[in-house]
Amino acid sequence: MTWRPTALNVSFLTVVGWALFLAVLTGRVELAVAAVPLVCALVAGRRSGAPSACRIDRELSTTRLLEDECVTVTVTLHAERRLPLVELLEPLPPRVGLERGSPHAFFSLPAGRETRWTFELRGTGRQHLRLEGPHLRIWGPLGLAAAESQHRAPATVAVYPRHAPVRHPPRPLRTQTFVGNYVSPTQGEGIEPGDIRPFAPGDQVRHVNWRATLKLGTLHVTQHHRERNADVVLLLDTLSEVGPEGETVVDLAARGAAALATTYLARKDRVGLIEYGGQPRWVRPGAGRAHLERLLDTLLSASVVFTYVNRDLDLVPPRILPPQALVVALSPLLDRRFVRAATDLAARGFDLVVIAVSPVRAARAAVPRSAVADVAARLWALERRAELDEYRRRGLSIVEWDGVEPLDAALAALGRRWRRRVLAG
Amino acid sequence: MMRLAALVLLAVLAALALSVRPSAPPVAWLATVALVVGGVGVIAWSVPLVTAAGSLVLIAYALALVVAGPAAEPLTAIALGSTLVLLLALVHFAGRVRGAVLGPSVVAAQARQWLAVVGWGAVAALVLTQAAALLAGALRSASLPMAVIAAALGAVLTVAGVIALVAREARGGPTS
Repeated sequence: MTWRPTALNVSFLTVVGWALFLAVLTGRVELAVAAVPLVCALVAGRRSGAPSACRIDRELSTTRLLEDECVTVTVTLHAERRLPLVELLEPLPPRVGLERGSPHAFFSLPAGRETRWTFELRGTGRQHLRLEGPHLRIWGPLGLAAAESQHRAPATVAVYPRHAPVRHPPRPLRTQTFVGNYVSPTQGEGIEPGDIRPFAPGDQVRHVNWRATLKLGTLHVTQHHRERNADVVLLLDTLSEVGPEGETVVDLAARGAAALATTYLARKDRVGLIEYGGQPRWVRPGAGRAHLERLLDTLLSASVVFTYVNRDLDLVPPRILPPQALVVALSPLLDRRFVRAATDLAARGFDLVVIAVSPVRAARAAVPRSAVADVAARLWALERRAELDEYRRRGLSIVEWDGVEPLDAALAALGRRWRRRVLAG
Repeated sequence: MMRLAALVLLAVLAALALSVRPSAPPVAWLATVALVVGGVGVIAWSVPLVTAAGSLVLIAYALALVVAGPAAEPLTAIALGSTLVLLLALVHFAGRVRGAVLGPSVVAAQARQWLAVVGWGAVAALVLTQAAALLAGALRSASLPMAVIAAALGAVLTVAGVIALVAREARGGPTS
């Protein structure tokens, strides 16, 4: 870190030059005298040698947060020698909002003292928020010299997609063997009462249905349905993207996927994720909190990768996409390859629900408002409605979601009975 | 608050220029233009505009001195130079800290520093003026062209010296 003269020197020299030039021109000594304080300031503002040393520590309140949540950045500045004026600036990456304070600060510190400076940042989009470290500038007297350096302390905050709770997610048609929240058609240990049958040796006394026994004259027991879990695979379409940065259809789909993953995992289901795009990635179905974090990490980095290589879902191993699983596809349905893959899954008997993330609103937000754009958006919405009807006729269970209304409201349109009829047909 | 202080300093500058010959129309016009340019500079926290205003004030002051032709009066000149130093430093500082968090006692520490530098400059100007007055007695017999040439040479050497002092440490260009 070395001292450098600032542009203010040019201003001082300009005024000194004018004063001396006019003094010579007019022959008046007052003008030369007026230049003396300016020259003295230039001499006083000159700095050489190494500037005062100081120590900077930076702390983040968290390294993981959801969209629209805040992280507090605390910078501690310790002056080993006197610092008349020190400037700190933390450059903010794009898609970060400043909630409180300022990333730019000035301090004046005596030797051996320290000061703290905090500001709050809000992650406004799914991202890896990277802070490189504050820039430091020590100012000389009158701002005529400055020494700059950067305190390199890169830190990353993972901003996960926000997710509202989903109260009524699509119910899976088929259950698995582990204990869960769904009432299975099979009989066994459980809470939900099922059929009544005559007592057989080995039956427990607590299962005896005394009312039926008295009515029929022989011992009868109540059978119960088992509570089972299900496998759910979230299929995220990253083949195409529309919308402004941070609010693209992929961002909206990632939010929906995060909400569904949280909901299903809370119901003891096993949840997997397939990112179907230029570079397919997947997470094997699993359960538990650690698995939720794994899913959120994958959703965090989901993005459109352009490639000429055309891959389909056949390359996905069966353990990633179990045949009994409920597949929830989140897609804008803009790319024919994804529509083909979804139709293929439905034809192969997969329990499939497609959440069609509307690209119309996202695209509308990316272009300036105009009458032509409004008409185009309405026409596109009509065309899209006809297209979705066509897909429904092909046997796909589709709900449309604009990404703004709660996912629960969109899923309410998905009647269980209607889904059964469609699958049976 | 800083904007108000800068406007006050600008008004003081114009008043100092006008105090020599307030009735001369060209001086008043120049001072008015300097006030307008400086006012815009202060509102926008623009150091170049304030520098232009300072230069205009100096021209107005020189014009007033030529028109009025009063006896040499160094105190007004020292006040003018000191106010220019304060104004430029204040506008530069205020432009830098705009929108930033200011720690406790930053403004007070800066003000103390500026006043110390300005005080040192005023004392230096007074000492130089007294020394020049003593020297003038000794050089009373020297002819006018000789004195003018010597003064011009001194001025050029002063400017060159200051530029050399400032630029010696910096080879990579000035910092904004």
